[in-house]
Amino acid sequence: MIEFQSVSKQYSTDAYALRDVSLNIGKGELVYLAGPSGAGKSTLMKMVAAVERPTSGVVTVNGQDIGRITKAGIPFLRRNLGLIFQQQRLLNDRNILGNVMLPLLVTGAPKAQAEQRARAALDKVGLLERARAMPLELSGGEQQRVAVARAIVNRPQIILADEPTANLDRVAADKVLDALRAFHAVGVTCVISTHDEQVLDSAAARVIRLEQGRLVGGVA
Amino acid sequence: MSPWLRQHRFALGAALSTVRKAPGSFLFNVLVVAFALMLPLAGITLLDNVRPLSEQLSVDPEISVFMKLDATREDASALQPRLRAIAAGGGKAEVEFIPREKALAAMKESSSLGDVIDTLGENPLPDSFKMRLDGSGAAGQVDAITEQLRALPGVDVVQVDSIWVKRLAAALNVLRLALLLLAVTLGIVVIAVVFNTIRLQVLTQKEEIAVSKLLGATDNFIHRPFYYTGALLGLCAGVVALGAVVLALRPLNGAIADFARLYASEFQLAPLGALETAGVLAISAGLGLIGAMLSVQRHLARVR
Repeated sequence: MIEFQSVSKQYSTDAYALRDVSLNIGKGELVYLAGPSGAGKSTLMKMVAAVERPTSGVVTVNGQDIGRITKAGIPFLRRNLGLIFQQQRLLNDRNILGNVMLPLLVTGAPKAQAEQRARAALDKVGLLERARAMPLELSGGEQQRVAVARAIVNRPQIILADEPTANLDRVAADKVLDALRAFHAVGVTCVISTHDEQVLDSAAARVIRLEQGRLVGGVA
Repeated sequence: MSPWLRQHRFALGAALSTVRKAPGSFLFNVLVVAFALMLPLAGITLLDNVRPLSEQLSVDPEISVFMKLDATREDASALQPRLRAIAAGGGKAEVEFIPREKALAAMKESSSLGDVIDTLGENPLPDSFKMRLDGSGAAGQVDAITEQLRALPGVDVVQVDSIWVKRLAAALNVLRLALLLLAVTLGIVVIAVVFNTIRLQVLTQKEEIAVSKLLGATDNFIHRPFYYTGALLGLCAGVVALGAVVLALRPLNGAIADFARLYASEFQLAPLGALETAGVLAISAGLGLIGAMLSVQRHLARVR
């Protein structure tokens, strides 16, 4: 489902974000990307979402070569991905429901249908009763669960969560991870990046380790 | 509802929502654009009113040849072939003989002086000829033809009637050209104002745009609300400018009516017709759209 073949990403002559990375993530797999800050986890995630393109090597997502994908094709690739960011990136000018409806509205879904599915997604992360609240009225953990709801509302094949538990206390982090594991349990491919060793210790899943842009373990 | 229509409805809703969030800012921009549109609109309204008047008047040179009062009908008849020959020297021409009786009858009919004319007893008008020369060929030869006509026996007065009409037509052409240049200049001002307005909106909504892109929004989906905002801004400014011109016509028409009455005329400046109004609104909305498109192309590519 996600394949990296000898992928490197170079920003300047001596600044490599990724160096010769090869890995394969199968359909329905749950994978943790581990490594310290600056290891290249975010760059790897960005390549899957076609935010960045490889300097060399081939990245394939759902059979599409990210290096060759056209600008017009990127939105359609992203509609099959659920993206969760460390800083949630919720829009503060609209309520929680409006935020979760957005991925559906951008695809041209009818508003009534988008609202119905957004409510269902909020229900899955336990926040349906806060649907009319504004993002800034929620705690960090709740905001991250809203971000999870927004990521899964369009029923993506892959969820990419970039440090979703950073800045959260243990209880809130567990709730977010539980939500992600629940989606993995129904067949969604999940890639979760983290530098939290406590999370990795309790992870019953493959862990891919990166350091200074290189793979140092967990490749299968 | 088709997905295409739904997307446009969504974009229009998003544009209106942006307006609702900052109505003061939108209103201010509408006023700025409306001021830029007002001057050319006022000029177009003036031209639109004057043009039918100038079109009713012939711009082909017209020469009236008045015979002496003591000239007989035979003298006039004898002169007619020579007049035709002189007129034909300047190209295609029409020569019409107007007997003094017909001239008197026409004068009575066209003025309110019928009773006064009746008191004169004798017809004071001479026989005359009206010569209409082909404008393109004869315009430069009017003076030479006039001189030849004055030298004919029995001719009292030769009067060139349409020079002032040509001058009016020329003045209107200059005015039209000046207005066109003004409209183009102010059109650029409108585009610049909308360009900057949309630029600020893009900056304000930078995060929303970036997140929408990451969630799978196409460029069209992101661009459309800005296009609608630009077109809406142009359209509202067009309405305000048209309204202002119509309001300005009221006091102006009072003064014009007083002036026109002195010339037994009921001339009034009328607002633009429905078709012209629709055209002006379409153009102002179009200018807004162009400004928005240029701004979006320039600034949205930078948002990631």
